[in-house]
Amino acid sequence: MKDRLVAGIDLGAGSTKVVLLAADRSVLGQARSKTRADFVGLTDGLLDEVLKPLGLTRRDISYIATTGLGRYAVPARNIQITEITCGARGAWFLFPDTTCILDIGSQSSRAIRVGEKGRVKEFKTNEKCASGSGGFLEKAAKYLEITVDEMGTLSLTSSDPREISSVCAVLAESEIISNVSDGYKIEDIVRGIHDSLADRALTLIRRVGIGTSLTFIGGVARQEGMISTVQAKLGIQVNVPEEPEYVCALGAALFALERLKAAEAVSAKTA
Amino acid sequence: MTDTPKENPKAAGHVHYQGRMHALQKEIITRWYKELHGVWQRQQASNAVPLPGSGATGAVPLMISGNCVELLQAFDLLPVYPEINALQLAIRKKALEYLLKAEDMGYSTDNCGYVKADMAFYLEGAETAQGTRIPKPSLILNNFVGCNTYIKWFEHLAHFTKAPLFTLDIPFLQGEEPDAGQIKYVADQLKDLIRLLEKVSGRSFDIDRLREILKLSARSEELWSAIKMTAKNNPSPYEAFFDATTMMGPLYVSRGTPEGVRFFEEALREMEEKVRLGVGAVAKERFRVVVEAPPPYPYFKAFRDLFNTWGACSVASTYSCVGGTFEFGFRHDPRDPLNSIARHMLVHNVCNRNYIQRYDQILRYIKEWNADALIIHSVKSCRLFSAGHGDMREFFTSKGIPTLYVESDLEDPRYYSPAQMRNRFDAFFEALEHKKYSTKGAGV
Repeated sequence: MKDRLVAGIDLGAGSTKVVLLAADRSVLGQARSKTRADFVGLTDGLLDEVLKPLGLTRRDISYIATTGLGRYAVPARNIQITEITCGARGAWFLFPDTTCILDIGSQSSRAIRVGEKGRVKEFKTNEKCASGSGGFLEKAAKYLEITVDEMGTLSLTSSDPREISSVCAVLAESEIISNVSDGYKIEDIVRGIHDSLADRALTLIRRVGIGTSLTFIGGVARQEGMISTVQAKLGIQVNVPEEPEYVCALGAALFALERLKAAEAVSAKTA
Repeated sequence: MTDTPKENPKAAGHVHYQGRMHALQKEIITRWYKELHGVWQRQQASNAVPLPGSGATGAVPLMISGNCVELLQAFDLLPVYPEINALQLAIRKKALEYLLKAEDMGYSTDNCGYVKADMAFYLEGAETAQGTRIPKPSLILNNFVGCNTYIKWFEHLAHFTKAPLFTLDIPFLQGEEPDAGQIKYVADQLKDLIRLLEKVSGRSFDIDRLREILKLSARSEELWSAIKMTAKNNPSPYEAFFDATTMMGPLYVSRGTPEGVRFFEEALREMEEKVRLGVGAVAKERFRVVVEAPPPYPYFKAFRDLFNTWGACSVASTYSCVGGTFEFGFRHDPRDPLNSIARHMLVHNVCNRNYIQRYDQILRYIKEWNADALIIHSVKSCRLFSAGHGDMREFFTSKGIPTLYVESDLEDPRYYSPAQMRNRFDAFFEALEHKKYSTKGAGV
């Protein structure tokens, strides 16, 4: 098992992430790219990006677990696991006191209640409306003529947050444009957007129950203003990983390692 | 790369689910549509609603829930189930064109999908999914049982077809049992209905004929119940949601006929043989689930695949009780025909019962059929069936029963999101797998 490497691949709606893990669960490398239709070429490219600097090849990978909406589309996978289960495992690995996870990605937002060892007890996701997810931020940034990254910190400087009340992303865009044309400060509008996203997220969190400790993962967890809003609304400190968008891929890699160990244990027994 | 240590069942791909029972069901439903087509052809020839003659005297639309098809059969009237027409369109991916036509006519997107598909279908004078025609109704029987949408639906149908409308008012069951007054109230309406059926069919009412039909119905119900009981075996030979849905056609169309009895005898034999051989309805049964509410007909097979890929077999379902909760003992009684029909409509079908009774029914299924979990498929355009499903999920979760709540529609493909649906099923079964089959270090 010593030299065995495993990979976790998260084929998300917005971006694809790869994490390479050693047998001791240390992360050897990671890479990400915008998701495109050629899933095989995309994941091959990302794996090469991670392996080459380490002087490794695909033969060095013993097990691949995929997750995300495109998890069935990677022929080289050994197993596919939902991003709900993988996100829970990854978040629990990084923050073992986690009882609830908020995961907001490009098109999905979900709250996951976890129990012992990060096992999923209950989850609640947005279903057919992406208004509470990262794709909404991208659209909003476009209308505000700033980048999504700039939005992340801008809302922290807000002194008079605007209210974005619509629950529909398309109608909310009209509200944003209306606020811009009325001359409101961009930071106040951005804060309103973060408040709106946080409200939707809190509805999901309340449905599953927060427990004692919340971990915030997914690309939207890079938005400092969003973290601040969620913390203010919940009145608790929220765990945020350094690289929140990689947590599901990390969780997949952890499962890959467990599966590989279990398979090798079975082989050893029958040998 | 190493070999895959454990082939994930989700990679198995599509599976065909066809037994002898499915072929017989197809025969019965095809014959029924042909008979309806025959009435339509005679109507075309005479340019009038057909009255006495050989074969069926006419056709009468009625609602499936707690239906009183035996009364129609006693007058040689063919039942028309608009719900079956609508679901047949959906399952053959033809529903959307009719839904859009209905919305063009002014029906809201929020209206019941069955209503919209059926109304557009009638008004277009279109062919059924079997390539046959539905005749003009001799009478529209609004046997309103648990679904008040039907009142408007059949009023519309009566308006457009100019057929007479008879509404049976069935009080919703609030307590455990109907009182004597409620039974008399319904039975008296049945007497009025009989007088009207005599008129539209041109036949005199023969109580002995009705008794014979009810005797056959009781036998079909007995066999149908015995089939449901086979699902208590491990593995279950019977898929009590998807295959039960298939069997519901014969139950509603022909339960009071020798053909219906033969169908259920054959189906029971098939299940008993599978029990003897230890053959399950799914290739390798790993989970036993109870299902609440109807399937998403536009994605019927894809939805079934979500169960099958996890080795999940439905061992009981509430939807299969829309026409009657027969597995709990009710049988039509030839000795007391009208009161027996009244009791069936009032209390022995799932739609007219109250929610607490539905909770109890599901709890019995979980316990007596030894199920691992409950799956609730809430139906967007049927609030009458689906209102309260959120509370239901909370109730069963609080009882420690793993419960999956998903939502789409029984008719409208626009409400079904395949990737999201699969994600929720996979995540639910991943957690359930751990709960049931956890092995050290290897569980998901």
